[in-house]
Amino acid sequence: MIITSPGRLSALALAAAFAVGACSGSASPSPAASTAPGASAAASPGLGGPAAPSGDVSLAGAGATFPGPLYQVWVEKYAAAHPNVKIDYQAIGSGGGIKNITAQTVAFGASDATMKDAEIAALPAGTKILHIPTALGAVVFIYNLPGVTELNLDGPTAADIFLGTIKKWNDPKIAALNSSATLPGADIVVVHRSDGSGTTNAFTTYLGAVSDGWKNGPGVGKEVNWPTGIGAKGNDGVAGGVKQTPGAIGYVELNYATQAALATAKLKNADGAFVAASVDGVTAAADASVATFPADFRAAPIINGAGAATYPIAAYTYLLVYADQKDQVKGQALVSFVYWALTDGQADEAGLGYAPLPKAVQDKALAELHTITSGGTPIWP
Amino acid sequence: MSATPGTLAGSRAPFAERLAAVRGSRRRVVDRVMRTVALAAALVCVLPLAAILLFVVIKGAAALNLDLLTKPPKALGTGGGALNAILGSLQMVAVAALVAVPVGILGGVYVSEFASRRSARAVRFAADVMVGVPSILIGIVAYTLLVVPFKQFNAAAGSVALALIMVPVIVRTTEEILRLVPHEIREAGLALGVPTWRVVLSVVLPAGRTGVLTGVMLAVARAAGETAPLLFTALGSRLVNVGQFGQPMDALPLFIYNGARQPIAALNDQAWGAALLLLLFVLGVNVAVRARSWGRRAG
Repeated sequence: MIITSPGRLSALALAAAFAVGACSGSASPSPAASTAPGASAAASPGLGGPAAPSGDVSLAGAGATFPGPLYQVWVEKYAAAHPNVKIDYQAIGSGGGIKNITAQTVAFGASDATMKDAEIAALPAGTKILHIPTALGAVVFIYNLPGVTELNLDGPTAADIFLGTIKKWNDPKIAALNSSATLPGADIVVVHRSDGSGTTNAFTTYLGAVSDGWKNGPGVGKEVNWPTGIGAKGNDGVAGGVKQTPGAIGYVELNYATQAALATAKLKNADGAFVAASVDGVTAAADASVATFPADFRAAPIINGAGAATYPIAAYTYLLVYADQKDQVKGQALVSFVYWALTDGQADEAGLGYAPLPKAVQDKALAELHTITSGGTPIWP
Repeated sequence: MSATPGTLAGSRAPFAERLAAVRGSRRRVVDRVMRTVALAAALVCVLPLAAILLFVVIKGAAALNLDLLTKPPKALGTGGGALNAILGSLQMVAVAALVAVPVGILGGVYVSEFASRRSARAVRFAADVMVGVPSILIGIVAYTLLVVPFKQFNAAAGSVALALIMVPVIVRTTEEILRLVPHEIREAGLALGVPTWRVVLSVVLPAGRTGVLTGVMLAVARAAGETAPLLFTALGSRLVNVGQFGQPMDALPLFIYNGARQPIAALNDQAWGAALLLLLFVLGVNVAVRARSWGRRAG
C-alpha cells in the first residue's frame, strides 16, 4: 500500500496536469482525451525509453553488496511506477553475482569487479554477458577508535596495516601522518571480507598500486590470502564488525560507512592532498578517467586518479545481463528497469553516497542497452 | 557403595577400620566435589538457554510492533517489517511438512511393522546418518537438483530441502514409538481376523498417536529454524510471495541472518523482532508437544 500509493498519486497528478493542458489548449476535453495521457504517462518513464511489459513478471537478481542499498531504493521506486513488474535484489556479494548469472539462476547479476576472461570462458556456450555500469562508489577506510575523530592515511601505511606489519595504532608511521591526533596504544584489528567481493577487488587493486609488498604478497583480486585480520561477509558484515570492535579498521563502500555512522579515514591522493571520501571526490575520479573507459565496459577500479579533489579508490559497479534474453517478457522488464536506473534512477545516487555515471559512460551504457535481444530480435530497437 | 566399608570393618583388624573411615570421609569429599561439578555442568547447560530467552525477549519485544507483522521490508530499514519472512516461513514449512509427514510416518511404520530385521537396520542407519548430515549439505543437494536445472532460485527447492531434514526425524521417532506399542495388542487385532494393514492403521498408530505427533512437531520446529538449506534454494526475497513456489521466498531465519549483520540499527532491531517471532513459534510447538503428552499421561 505504502509503495503503490505515491505511484498512483503521481500518475493521477500527471493525468490531471495533462487534462488541464488539454482544457486550455482545445475547446472541450473528451473522455478519450483524459485516458490517453494517463496511458502514455504510465508507459514512458522518460522520452524514448523502452516500454515495460504489461503483464505480471518477476525478476530475481543477486550480487554485489556494494550497490545493495541503491538497488533496493531503485527497485522500490521502479515498482511504484510499474506494480506489475516485481524485481527482487539479494545482496550476496559480487562473487555470488557472477556465479549465479553464469549458472543462469538469476535474471541479472551484479558485480563491481568485472568478469575475468576465465570467468567469461566459463559461461554457457554461445552466450554473452554485457556489463552495464550503473553507479560509481568509493571504497573507504572505516575505523573504530573512540576519541579519534580524524585519521589520515596514505597508501604505504594502509598497506602495512593490512599486511600486519603495523600492529599498534600509535605506530610511528601512523603518528607521522596524524600529528594532531592522540593515538591510543591499542592493537589494530583488521576486518576484511570473507566472501568474493568487488569491493575487495578495488581495495586490493589500490593496495597493490601503492605497495610492492602487497603486490608481491597477497596480490589483487576478489579474494586474496589475507596476512592478518578477521573475515566478515559482505560490506554490511565488515561495517558491523568494525562497529562492534574497538581498535578495528576495515574497508567498505562509502554508503555503508555513512549508514553505520562510522568514522572514515582521509586518504592521501595522487596530488598529495588528504581527501575524505565523498560523492564529489568519486565524480572527479570518474571524470578524469572517462577517456580511457574501455569498449567492452570492463573498466578497472580507478586508482589514484589525477586532480586535487579526487578520491584515490573509486570503482564502477555493474549489472551483468545476458546479451540475448531467453524470455522475451522478462527481457523487456529488465531493459525497462535498467533504462530507468540509467536515467531517472541516477538522481538517487548522490543522496545515498554513490556517484552518478559521467554523461559519456551513461550514453555508452544506453547504447549497450539497445543491443540486448531476445531470440535475435532487439528488445529496444 | 556405603555397604563396602561396613563389610571391610567387620572382617578385618582395627587398622582396616580406620582406613575405611578415612576412605569414607574421602569418598564423602569426592562425592561433594563431583556433585558440585555436576551441578555446575547442569547450570552451564541451562544458563545459555536462560540467557538466550532473556536476551531475545528483551531485545525482540522492543522491536515487536504491528509494522513488523504486517509490512514488507523497505530499503535502508526506513519502516517496513518482516511480512515477507513470516509468510515465507509458514508456507515453506507447511509444504515441507505436507511432503515429509506422510513419508516419515509411513517410513517409520515400515521399519517398525513390516521390515525384515536387516532392512530395518539399513533404514534406521540411513535415517540416523541423515539426521546428522549438516543442513548446508542438504541445501547444496537441493540447489544442484532443483535450482540449477530450472535456472531459478525457488521456494519449492527450499521446501524440499526442509522436508529432507524433517523426514528422518519423523521416521525415527515414529519407529521408536510404535515399537513401544505392546505386541499383544497387535496379536489381539490379528486374532480377530483383521488384516495387518488395518491393525497398523486402526490399532498400532492410534496407540502411538501422541508420540508420533511429538516427532512431527519437533521436526516442524527444527525445519522452521533452519537457515543453511534455504540460502541456496529459496535465496530470500524482499517481496511478499504468496503461493509462488517457483520464485524466491524469504524465511524468518534468512531475515534474521540478513538483518543482524547490517550496520543499520533499524535493521538489527527488525532482526531481533523476527528472532523473537521465530523463538515464540518454536517454543509454542515444543510447549504444545509437552502439553499434549502431559495431558495424555494425566488422562
